Amino acid sequence: MRTSTYGIVALLAFAGTAFAAEGNNAGWERPAENQIANLPSLQRGARNFMAYCSGCHSLKFVRYSRLAEDLKISDELRDQLLVKPGAKFTDYIVSSMPEKDATEWFGKAPPDLSLTARSRSPDWIFNFLTTFYADPASRQTGVNNLQLPGTAMPHVLSSLQGVPRLKAVSHESAAAGADRAGAEPAGESGHSNSPFEPGAQGSLTPEQYDNFVRDTVNFLQYASDPTQLERQSLGVWVVLFLLMFTGIAFLLKKEYWKDVR
Amino acid sequence: MSDHAATDAVPEVDESRRKFLIAATAGTGAVGAILTAVPFVASWNPSESARAAGLPTEVDLSKMEAGQMTTHFWRKKQIYVVKRTPEMLASLAGHDGELKDPESKESDQPDYAKNAQRALNPDVLVLIAVCTHLGCLPKTRFTPNDATVMANWPGGFFCPCHGSKFDLAGRVFEGSPASLNLAVPPYTLEGDKLTIGVDANQKGNA
Amino acid sequence: MATVIEGKGGFRAWLNKRMPVDQFVADQLTGYYAPKNFNVWYFFGSLALLVFVMQIVTGIFVTMHFKPGEATAWNSVQVMVREVPYMWLIQPMHAVGASFFFVVVYLHMARAMLYGSYKAPRELLWIIGMLIYLALMAEAFMGYVLPNGNMSYWGAQVIINLFGTIPGIGPDLVEWIRGDYGIGDATLNRFFSLHVIALPFIIALLVMLHLVALRQVGSNNPDGIEIKEKLGKDGLPIDGVPFHPYYTVKDIVGVGLFLTLFAVVVFFAPTFGGLFMEPPNFEPANPVSTPDHIAPVWYFTPYYAILRAVPDQKIGALLMAASVVAFLFLPWLDRAKNKSIRYRGAASKILLGTFFITFVVLMWLGLKPADGIYVLLARIFTTLYFLFFILLPFVSKADGNGPVPDRVTYHAH
Repeated sequence: MRTSTYGIVALLAFAGTAFAAEGNNAGWERPAENQIANLPSLQRGARNFMAYCSGCHSLKFVRYSRLAEDLKISDELRDQLLVKPGAKFTDYIVSSMPEKDATEWFGKAPPDLSLTARSRSPDWIFNFLTTFYADPASRQTGVNNLQLPGTAMPHVLSSLQGVPRLKAVSHESAAAGADRAGAEPAGESGHSNSPFEPGAQGSLTPEQYDNFVRDTVNFLQYASDPTQLERQSLGVWVVLFLLMFTGIAFLLKKEYWKDVR
Repeated sequence: MSDHAATDAVPEVDESRRKFLIAATAGTGAVGAILTAVPFVASWNPSESARAAGLPTEVDLSKMEAGQMTTHFWRKKQIYVVKRTPEMLASLAGHDGELKDPESKESDQPDYAKNAQRALNPDVLVLIAVCTHLGCLPKTRFTPNDATVMANWPGGFFCPCHGSKFDLAGRVFEGSPASLNLAVPPYTLEGDKLTIGVDANQKGNA
Repeated sequence: MATVIEGKGGFRAWLNKRMPVDQFVADQLTGYYAPKNFNVWYFFGSLALLVFVMQIVTGIFVTMHFKPGEATAWNSVQVMVREVPYMWLIQPMHAVGASFFFVVVYLHMARAMLYGSYKAPRELLWIIGMLIYLALMAEAFMGYVLPNGNMSYWGAQVIINLFGTIPGIGPDLVEWIRGDYGIGDATLNRFFSLHVIALPFIIALLVMLHLVALRQVGSNNPDGIEIKEKLGKDGLPIDGVPFHPYYTVKDIVGVGLFLTLFAVVVFFAPTFGGLFMEPPNFEPANPVSTPDHIAPVWYFTPYYAILRAVPDQKIGALLMAASVVAFLFLPWLDRAKNKSIRYRGAASKILLGTFFITFVVLMWLGLKPADGIYVLLARIFTTLYFLFFILLPFVSKADGNGPVPDRVTYHAH
């Protein structure tokens, strides 16, 4: 009995080790460190999204009403601050930009963001929104991005962050995404080991800007899986119940197997 | 004693302990099965899409002429809104004896429509256009004395499926297969703004 | 072992007169003697049945809200998990259940290989089991394609195109399977029909046959000794215990442990780090944008790694097919006298151990991009994979004939 148990555990552990993800951190990448259970952060994120993102990006699977209910936003605030003019509070959050115009302006339609936190990851969005830098070579927008080089998206948050410049040394290697060996973990934007140096100033300090993005990312993580908190809190009870059931069943099994010699 | 692994009674078998553990396992399992059934059963309730589509419907009465009827949708049901003329209101009197439920005691309507006119404001009749017999759509027969409906017809609704007859307050006549008056949905009336689906008694919690 | 049920009145007698309920229990459960020395590996048969039932139940509910088709499938999944009460729980149960099904089935197969459960007289039992496995692969593949996420789409593209490598009829066959020049409504609708009706029926039928064959020959055990050969005075196997209550109460413990693990994944890690639900499938199918890196779901990747290890498309597809079909021949490739690995020599143990490791490594390699060191590794382990089937007849013949004990190994606790 013992050896076979070890056998299965070993086989599964071996498989587990084999599949353990290996990180290939590109040096400038930082974890988003957003907290999905932080309600005020989610509320600020919703506000940020409506103010800065929703002009171009939709959340076509999220209704204003559901959002307000989940984030504990009152009906009055919901109708005043969230719901777009002309929309009903039960409508899905849809950008007001016609897809045809968007394609004309940006080369491609801005993607729906309902599931981006699941198809990419919260960290990916965080890094995307924090690694815009001035790039005269980009004629359309004047900026480029470390996370998504050649992105068609302009730096919408430049009024908040400013537009950093890439440090001369790391410019080419970082932009190529090959700045892996020897790169020190990046600190706050503008910190000494960041790949950036200050360019045009924005209205927020680097720390404030990171928090702004963090809240927004947090909100997008909520939007990608609105029931995740409910699921986890129910899960605790389900697992406890099943453990109890297994325990009782084990006692029953032991009792019967006393017979077997 | 045979040489069997399990068939012989082992002396110290504690039958009561076994019975208890069987009951405990079966009981816990049954509770688990019932709890597991909850999400499956609950998944049949209306979804958010269905509930969003079932929101209150607003009607602007200012564009309606007296005697006119408009139709609307609320919660997948057709709603008749009639702006009744004084003649129409007058037609409600005098045939209580021919009605099954003249005072709407058995029928379905909000408190504020449990009166002779079955309305919050007598001028405006709001009815769910679902025949209380088997769910057909009653037709309008507003012209009084229409002998094709019945003798002394005061004007009202006629269900083509099985011939139920209702007056201009949706009250059912004797001799109809339907036994209840046409239902009145919850609604509010603010000036010319009729909102179907919001109860005048509990405004705000639609 | 027909037992006469007598002397009972009331409903039970009424029922038994019309349907042999007590007779069935007496024959199949209390009268069915299973070896007393089953270890944890023997949980996975009953667990496979449990997962099958769970998949049917959750599948019935997912079907209630799913709208097959190019334009509707992906949206309908997103809407159901967000807007239909509790579908956020039921849909992930179905998706995670597919992965758990394969975990259980692979362990169940590994058990058979460890203890020689495919050997005579259980060859047919093994073959029916393998047919269940094949049907399950088709079922899982189609279920994976149905939601029409971007990985579903490109995975389907790759797998269906495999049929194009069949000489002569290949290209026509691919079009016939799809019913279109690309994956379209026709493809998704026929996959839906097969996934929810045809294949579940086939699997249910095969499971029944699997159980009937099992009851005919009786269960093998970790010692690989036939308990029917050692009967007591009462004509019953000395080393057997009645399936009910002994193995019913034991299997309930297995069920409890399994459901606990299942719940942990469903509630706390339904995507399992992108292994059970892959990130690209949170984007709708996009025929003009291939995900950066295409890989099938983890339970298909060993075969996928073999496919990619070969630089020639046709030979690659052929080897992949061979790698699955090879299992069918195990009963005849294994020429040892003894069944269980316990009573075989070191060479057999190393051979089987290497095979298990190879299978897991190939599984891992199939998820990796096909470049650099991974290609070399895939070739080495593909060779090892087939080497197992080639060497097995010789190794088993040479060191699988030692003495076996008279009675099964069992220590009461």
